[in-house]
Amino acid sequence: MPENTSATVEESAVPVATAPGSAVKGMKKDKPERVASMWSDARRDLMHNWVFLVSAVLILALLVIAALPGLFTSGDPYAKGFCDLSNSVVPPSGAHWFGFDVQGCDIYTRTIYGTRNSIIVGVLTSVLTTLVGCVLGMVAGLRSGWLDVLVSRFTEIWFAIPTMLGGLLVLAMLGTGNVVTVSLIMAVLGWPQLFRIMRGAVITNKQNDYVMAARALGAGGWRIAMRHILPNALAPVIVVSTINLGVYISAEAAFSYLGIGVQSPNISWGLMISDGQDRFLSAPHMVLFPSLFLSVTVLAFIMLGEAVRDALDPKLR
Amino acid sequence: MRGAKSAKWVAGAIVVALAATACGGGGSDSKANGAKQVVMELGEPQNGLIPSNTYESEGSEVMNALFTGLVRYDEKNETQLDMAASIETKDSKVWTIKLKDGYTFHNGEPVTAQSFADAWNYGANQDNTQETNPLYNKIEGYADLNPGEGKKPATDKMKGLKVVDEKTLEVTLTAPFSAFKTMLGFNAFYPLPKAFFKDPKGFETAPIGNGMFKMDGKFVRNQQIKTVKFDKHPDAAEVKIPGVTFKIYNNQDTAYRDLLGGRVDIMDTVPLSAMTTAAKDLGDRYIQGTDSGVGYIGFPIKYNKVYAKPEIRKAISQAIDRKAITEKIFVNTRTPADDFINPLVPGYRSGACGAPCTFDPAAAKKAFDAAGGLPGNKMELGYNADGGHKDWIEAVAAQLEKNLGVDVTVKPFEQFQTILNDLGDKKYSGAFRLAWSMDYPHPENYLRPVFSEDAIEHGSNYSGYVNPQVEKFLDQGDTATTEDAAIKAYQQADDLILKDMPYIPVYFYKLNAGLSKNLKPGVRIDNMTQIDWTTVNPA
Repeated sequence: MPENTSATVEESAVPVATAPGSAVKGMKKDKPERVASMWSDARRDLMHNWVFLVSAVLILALLVIAALPGLFTSGDPYAKGFCDLSNSVVPPSGAHWFGFDVQGCDIYTRTIYGTRNSIIVGVLTSVLTTLVGCVLGMVAGLRSGWLDVLVSRFTEIWFAIPTMLGGLLVLAMLGTGNVVTVSLIMAVLGWPQLFRIMRGAVITNKQNDYVMAARALGAGGWRIAMRHILPNALAPVIVVSTINLGVYISAEAAFSYLGIGVQSPNISWGLMISDGQDRFLSAPHMVLFPSLFLSVTVLAFIMLGEAVRDALDPKLR
Repeated sequence: MRGAKSAKWVAGAIVVALAATACGGGGSDSKANGAKQVVMELGEPQNGLIPSNTYESEGSEVMNALFTGLVRYDEKNETQLDMAASIETKDSKVWTIKLKDGYTFHNGEPVTAQSFADAWNYGANQDNTQETNPLYNKIEGYADLNPGEGKKPATDKMKGLKVVDEKTLEVTLTAPFSAFKTMLGFNAFYPLPKAFFKDPKGFETAPIGNGMFKMDGKFVRNQQIKTVKFDKHPDAAEVKIPGVTFKIYNNQDTAYRDLLGGRVDIMDTVPLSAMTTAAKDLGDRYIQGTDSGVGYIGFPIKYNKVYAKPEIRKAISQAIDRKAITEKIFVNTRTPADDFINPLVPGYRSGACGAPCTFDPAAAKKAFDAAGGLPGNKMELGYNADGGHKDWIEAVAAQLEKNLGVDVTVKPFEQFQTILNDLGDKKYSGAFRLAWSMDYPHPENYLRPVFSEDAIEHGSNYSGYVNPQVEKFLDQGDTATTEDAAIKAYQQADDLILKDMPYIPVYFYKLNAGLSKNLKPGVRIDNMTQIDWTTVNPA
């Protein structure tokens, strides 16, 4: 998607359209032959931002763990006989770095395997909220008038429901949750935020000169929307969805902790924390390690989001 | 008791309440006569404070302080006369109860035979929907007060209750029942004053009893029940404390911290989270003892033919490592069960269950396969998620998977009642956890209310187990004229049930209580987890 804007330069069908505010600034300090755009600027910025680099490495590692947990541990936590009560609450040792939980299951293996559910929930929820929010936001922002009013009022109804409270209610009613239901519920309750951002960005961009210019040159509504408005309106949405990704991961842990999110025998960090809390004082390792993974993951996504925001919106620096 | 709420079933060792607490002050009260008001931790009682509507541990605790019953139980669980001067029978069918003098209710009204008859008639009447209603069903005339749903009882008195004079009550049972005297210590058989019948609703928050303590103010829901010593009680001289405040907690961890801080003086169930440190924290103020509870895994034999074969049930039982579960999961707050009858009542035999309760994975697997296993090699195991049962049920599931090779799905239910309802509606047909704690210390109480045919309709036989031979021995036990003969008959019934194993006995509960530094060690807590208040002494 980011390539679209720079591509327009070569196409030169609408040359003026490539000049959002930041491009002008970029022109000044860069070598004149380099084509500057918001996205290429941002990319260059990010490569020199240690916050971005650290979080990107962490996230990459987590993604690999989520995709191929077998690479990191030899055990299979879903196998029969994986847990042995005789190991119950054994503290960390050289052979078992994270120790064992109440059921005598190796906490390291379970933590590694728990990564997948957290990442899936985070990504799935973020993608769903972004898709719904963007589509509706575009429609409402472009088509002002009764359609905008209708969609906006509809959104406000959803916006009024706090995610945690609404999620608790729905999940408690469903009885048992899993990765998909938890993601769906959070997506249903979470999209209005992105809708608002998208709609606002679209309305702002719609009045910009390059849109006028494109229209003057005879570009159709669809083309203007997809090639000129969307790429420029997308930046704040991407920032918020990335930050939200971390927030959704922690929300999943909270739901699972409360016993209505991911259910045993599926593994979730929130569930592991909840299982271990009874003996926190005598055996803190049962809570400590899944909490550590959870914190680091959430932190990585929030840091990434902030780094991207800094790069895309220099005004905030 | 079918359809009754948590009732006497041990729904959970840990009471998890969702509502936010509003614990008001209540902690340490002003010093009276140098001794301090004793504070006891309590879970919110299920109902208002009426003896016949109290069929759970928390309300029972309060009843025990406010009322004095006809009999009480000593260290050996033998029945001792309390308010009764004598309880006699020739044939176990007609019982003559004579009362001691000197007992009055807290409002000054003397306690008479009529006070008992009125209370029992009230409790047994279906129109009053009292929780303990089924406990009166041995008394002649119970059926007249319980004609069934939608029908009005023709009378409000059981014809088996005859007030001979002010101090003598004659009770006729429908059939001989040798354990009737033992039964009388339970709070369903406490007396009620006349004031109760004028305003039963008001009584729920301001009960008037005949016990060592009387109410001071009203029962404040979710906060506290404050009592003071009743000086006119015949045993008042033995009570060394000015009063007891039952402070209501919905989080046992909080209560435990308050115990260590001296804001709570007696806690009858130390939470699991503190189990590993309690002995060090409390020293000689940590009380460990026996408890009457038995934990089972039950099978819906009546609804699900899959579990019909006793061999399958016994193989499952044999594949459970009880020792590992009680040691690791329960940190030795339970002991492995080897009988349906709890060790603390006469009639228990160590190892009565034999091989099926002795962990032997190889033999279990062999027997399981020989009996044909389970269809699809699948099994469901249900538990109520509000009672701290997740850990041990998951451990059992893991052991069955490992030792029998079956796929076990654990299924959490919101409350214990939900399991029972779903079983009743045939929405759930898997195995389920449950537990039983006694109403009175007698082997009969572990068998008839749980395994008899009658208990399917009027009791707690949730597996639908019926064995005519068992019925025969239970009847024999009821009608026996000597205690020994009775116990022998109950044991024969017990043997048959163990052979059929409709439920698997998994563990016996243990008592883990704690006292604060404000009290002297040596407080006696009986096997119904009731405090003997004459043994509570300020430090």
